[in-house]
Amino acid sequence: MPHTSRNFVVAYILLVGIPLLCLAGVLKAGRSISAPVSVDGTWKIEADTSSLAGRPCGNALLAVSGSSVVISQSGKGLVVTSNNPAKTPGSGLIEGTNVTASFQTSTLASAGCNSDSRVIITAAVNPKSEPRTLTGSLIASDCASCGTLQFHAWRQPKAQSGGSH
Amino acid sequence: MPNLFILTLQLAVVLAVCRLTGELFRRIHQPKVVGEMFAGIMLGPSLLGWIAPHFSSYLFPVNSLGFLNALSQVGVIVFMFLVGLGINPRELKKQGHAAVLTSHVSITAPFVLAAFLALFLYPRLSDDSVSFTSFALFMGSAMSITAFPVLARILSERNMLASRLGTVAIACAAVDDVTGWCILAYIVVLIRSAHSSTSIWMTTAGLGVFGIFMVYGVRPLLRGYERVYKAKGELSENLMAFMVLLVLASALCTEYLGIHLLFGAFLMGAIMPKQRHFVRYVLDRFETITVTLLLPLFFAFTGLRTNIGLVKGPQMWMYCGLIILVATAGKLGGSTLASWLSGMPLREAAGLGTLMNTRGLMELVILNIGLDIGVISPALFSMMVIMALFTTFMTTPVLRLICSKELDESSAAIATKPAATDSLGLNGTESVA
Repeated sequence: MPHTSRNFVVAYILLVGIPLLCLAGVLKAGRSISAPVSVDGTWKIEADTSSLAGRPCGNALLAVSGSSVVISQSGKGLVVTSNNPAKTPGSGLIEGTNVTASFQTSTLASAGCNSDSRVIITAAVNPKSEPRTLTGSLIASDCASCGTLQFHAWRQPKAQSGGSH
Repeated sequence: MPNLFILTLQLAVVLAVCRLTGELFRRIHQPKVVGEMFAGIMLGPSLLGWIAPHFSSYLFPVNSLGFLNALSQVGVIVFMFLVGLGINPRELKKQGHAAVLTSHVSITAPFVLAAFLALFLYPRLSDDSVSFTSFALFMGSAMSITAFPVLARILSERNMLASRLGTVAIACAAVDDVTGWCILAYIVVLIRSAHSSTSIWMTTAGLGVFGIFMVYGVRPLLRGYERVYKAKGELSENLMAFMVLLVLASALCTEYLGIHLLFGAFLMGAIMPKQRHFVRYVLDRFETITVTLLLPLFFAFTGLRTNIGLVKGPQMWMYCGLIILVATAGKLGGSTLASWLSGMPLREAAGLGTLMNTRGLMELVILNIGLDIGVISPALFSMMVIMALFTTFMTTPVLRLICSKELDESSAAIATKPAATDSLGLNGTESVA
C-alpha cells in the first residue's frame, strides 16, 4: 500500500471510525437514561362542579371543567394554556408523576370577583394508562370558599403531523 | 376559509419586516438570510408577542396560522428542490482523499459530540414520548448540517469558488447535506412508524424502491430537459409546469411513504441534470417568487414558533450556550482539524471550518421538522434556532479575521452589486440560505 494511502486509512480510522464506535456506545448508554413523563398535548378536563353551586367566584373553576387545556412540555417545564381569549400561558412543573401548574382563565365577572382568575392544578399523571390520565385537584386563587375541586383529565390523541404540519 | 384580509395583512407585514431587516443586515456585511431569520423571530412571541400581545394576536390569530404555514411550506418545497438542484455529487469525486476525509469528519465530529450532549440534555429538555436514540440522532443530524446555498454565496462573493478552499468546501457541504437528510429521513421513519400501522421495514423497502426508481428510471428521462435547453436556449412554459409537477409528485410520494414532503422535493432536485447553464436557468425561473415571497413566510412561521421566553433562567441559558459551543466545536473544530491533518495550511483549514459551521435556513427547515414530529421540545427548538442564528451570524466576521484579504476584495464587489439580484447564491448572487 502506498505511503499516502496508508496515512489516509489511518487518519480515516482515527477521525471517522473511532468516533462512529463512540456514537454506537453513546446510543447504547443512552437507552438507560430516563426522561420526564410526557404530559405534552391537549387534555380534556372533567370535574363534578355541583359543589360550586351558589359560589359567586366559582366561575373560574366552572370554566375549566369540561374544557380543554393545552400543555406544552420541555423537560420538566410546562407551559399551560387554557381557553382564555388572550391565550395567556401559565407555567408548571412535572416531578416524577406529580404535576403542578397554574394558568389564567377568563370568565364572566361576578360582583366582588376577579374576571381573570388564576387556577392552580395539582395532579398525578398515570403513565401506564392509554390515553394518559391526570387525576387531582383544582383551586381558584380568588375563591377561598370554593375549596378544592377534584378533577379527572385525559389526553386527546395527537393529530398525525405531516408535511403540511 | 382563510380570512383574506388578515392573510394579506400578514403577507404585507412579513415582507416589509423581512426586507427591511435583511437590508439592515446587509449593511453590516451579513448575509440577508440572517436578517430575515431575525425578522421572523421579531414577529413572533419573543418580541412582538411580548411587547404587544394584543396586536400580535390580532395580526397572527391562531386559526390563521395554518394558511400561513401552508404557503410557507410551498416555498420550502421549492427551496429544497433548488438546493438539490445545486448539489452535484460528482464534486466530491473530483477531490482527493483530503476532501473525502474532511467531509466525513465534518459530519461525524458534530454528530458524535451532539450525541454526547444528548446524554445531558435528554433528561432535561425531552420527555419519555421520545426515545433517546431518536433524540440523539436528531441532535446529531441537526448539528452536522451545513447551509449549502449560503456557503456557495459567501464563496462566490469572495471569488473563492475556484480556489482549493472553495472546491473542498462545496464538496463537503454537498456530502454533509445529503448525509444529514438521509439520517433525518431515517429518524422520521423511526418516529412515524412507532405511531403507524405500517412497519418500519415496509417503509424502508418502499423508500428504497422509490429511490432506485428515481435514480435509474426518472433521472435518464430528465436529461431530455437538458437536451431541449441546449437546443433552444430555454424551456417552454409547459416543460416548466411539468417540472413543477414532477417536484410535487416526488414530494407526495415521500410523504405517502412515511417521510416528509421535503425529501421528495430534494431528491428530485438532486437527480436533475447538472449542466451549469441549465441549473442557472432553472434557478432563475424559480427563485424570485420563492425568495421574495414564500421563504419570508417560512421565516415568519418559524419565528412564531420560536419563543425565546422559554429559555429562561441561567440554567436554560447555560444549556443554550452549551449547544452553541458543541455545534461550533464539532463542525468548525472537526472540519478544521481534518483539513489541516490532510495537508491544508492552518489558516485555510480554519476558513473551511468556519464556512462549514454556517447553518442558516437549512437548520431552520430541519428544526421545524423536528418540532413537528415531536422529537424536540419547544424550549430546545428555541435554543437550536438561537444556535442556527449565532453560527450563521459568526461566519462573516470570523472569515473576515481569517481570510481578510479575500474579504476586502469581495466587499467592493458587494457594494457595486444591485440589490434586486436575489437568488440562492449558487452562481454568485444574493443568498437566502
